Amino acid sequence: MPRTKSDPPLLDAMHAEFLGGPVAINVASRDEARVPSIARAYGCRVAADRREVVVFLSRRRSTALLRDLAAGAPVAVVFSRPKTHETIQLKGARVRIRPLAAGDRARMLACGAAFATEIIALGYTESFSRALMAPAGDDAMAIAFTPDAVFEQTPGPKAGQRLEPGP
Amino acid sequence: MMAALYALRRCFEGAVPASIATCAPDGVPNVAKLSHVHYVDNGHVALSYQFFNKTRENILDNPRATVEVVDPVSAAHYTLQLEYLRTETEGPLFENMKARLAAIASHTGMSKVFRLRGSDVYRVIDVEAVPGEAGPDSPPRAELLSGLRACVAELSGCVDLAHLLDVMLAGLERHWDIRHAMLLMPDPDGRRLYTVASRGYPESGVGSEVRMGEGIVGVSASARTPIRIGYAVQEYRYSQATRQRFAASADGDALETEIPFPGLTEAGSQLAVPLVLGDRLLGVVYVESPQEQRFTYEDEDALAVLAGQLALAVELLSRNGEHPAEKTMPAAEPSGPPAQAQGTPVLIRHFSADQSVFVDNDYLIKGVAGAIIWKLLREHAEGRAEFSNRELRLDASLKLPDINDNLDARLILLQRRLAERCPFIAIEKTRRGCFRLNVGRPLRLAEATAG
Repeated sequence: MPRTKSDPPLLDAMHAEFLGGPVAINVASRDEARVPSIARAYGCRVAADRREVVVFLSRRRSTALLRDLAAGAPVAVVFSRPKTHETIQLKGARVRIRPLAAGDRARMLACGAAFATEIIALGYTESFSRALMAPAGDDAMAIAFTPDAVFEQTPGPKAGQRLEPGP
Repeated sequence: MMAALYALRRCFEGAVPASIATCAPDGVPNVAKLSHVHYVDNGHVALSYQFFNKTRENILDNPRATVEVVDPVSAAHYTLQLEYLRTETEGPLFENMKARLAAIASHTGMSKVFRLRGSDVYRVIDVEAVPGEAGPDSPPRAELLSGLRACVAELSGCVDLAHLLDVMLAGLERHWDIRHAMLLMPDPDGRRLYTVASRGYPESGVGSEVRMGEGIVGVSASARTPIRIGYAVQEYRYSQATRQRFAASADGDALETEIPFPGLTEAGSQLAVPLVLGDRLLGVVYVESPQEQRFTYEDEDALAVLAGQLALAVELLSRNGEHPAEKTMPAAEPSGPPAQAQGTPVLIRHFSADQSVFVDNDYLIKGVAGAIIWKLLREHAEGRAEFSNRELRLDASLKLPDINDNLDARLILLQRRLAERCPFIAIEKTRRGCFRLNVGRPLRLAEATAG
């Protein structure tokens, strides 16, 4: 049954906090022939009502992905925290592609810095960690979507389980 | 132009998780993290199949997948277009991935979670560098190829097995700064390997044994494939406890446990490379380091080439051991009674059940090497000191397991155990295929009875 505005949001407050935390973010779509496309994202913002998720991409590093999303293909986004392996995947039927809005750039840089700090503490070198998050630069843009499914993907027995909204 | 896959091998070390995108029959994409992408060859990679999940469901329906890998030094990203081909559940690739996965699991605290069910092999359709400024890179390592050349050149000058193995181990340290290394050879029963030479350990561990298929050396030997691990892994380590357990297994051929395996207690990196000629396993070179991620794909390449050369050299020397000159040589002449030994008498006991030999109450050796030293000592007591390899080969009482058994390796083992444990008895090589037994103290030989 299609979800309506009156349904509770799929994401609970803990999820929303997790998505905006020190997580690796990878975005996927596919073309008409069902050939997948993939790109890294450099940060995330969840709307106050938790019905919209925005992730930030580098335009030139996401050419195939943006082509597929612009053609109206669905999106899948995985968020994984290296320190805990905690992982969830969101899916959305389509995305809105738009330039960064006010506050987005600062948000993206903060996400990148937090992620770099976390992986440096895990033993990755500083030069690697900074280089990994550096592409969050001038060609950044945003994609926004409404999650219509949330999956637990932390390695282990519950991996793959579809998460339902809380009461 | 498609980037060469081998140039990206650093991305396949499992240091940075990769990501995989697939697509379901209804057109819904799926994206997941991958603990590692395994380099198979320049046109293939393999992914670990651990759980039946959405990724797997998708690729069984639609074999196209897109994977993003990350260089752990420069942070450069590469996109691989893949097509799923097949799943392997045994053999070299599977064993290799199982060891690598165990290492990554151990490193990331996921040992109870990660378990390899199969190796999913994919054809690489395209490799593309994701545009962007990569971070600082590390320069290529020139020492590997020049070191290989030097190591190989040194091997060619060796005229006997003991010298060959020592030169090889010394070369590893001199040219590649590999400070902990050993060489093991298979017992002809095909069930275990024994240490013939080592370098870089407080105790040489010569004579220690590991079971085929157990630990990194045993797996490398049984699967005939190099195994390389970049993190400390419990499952592939030779702790005394696990060796006791192997030794106690019910197949009746007890493993040597009196001599401890010389390996590092906390190896951060391990690499075992089999010496193979045709379908014959001649041995395993094992190197290790306390440092994590010490050995790269390039180290593995270099050591694999060296192991190939070493296998040829071992084979050549073993054929020379059967040289006509040795065969036609008369049995060694007794060279008069051995020099009178001085000092307090030492009790040497022999247990025929397992051919073990004890010096006073200290264990020396058992098995074929035990039978050999017992024969030599008995004949020495009757006034002989000069012996030949050939007479040992022909002596049915020694029960040399097979003509394929490397007698030279047994003698090296014996010679080194004596040097370490019993310096007043020494085997001294006199000329090709001949040696002298030197005894520096009076001995009392006793055939012990069991019980």
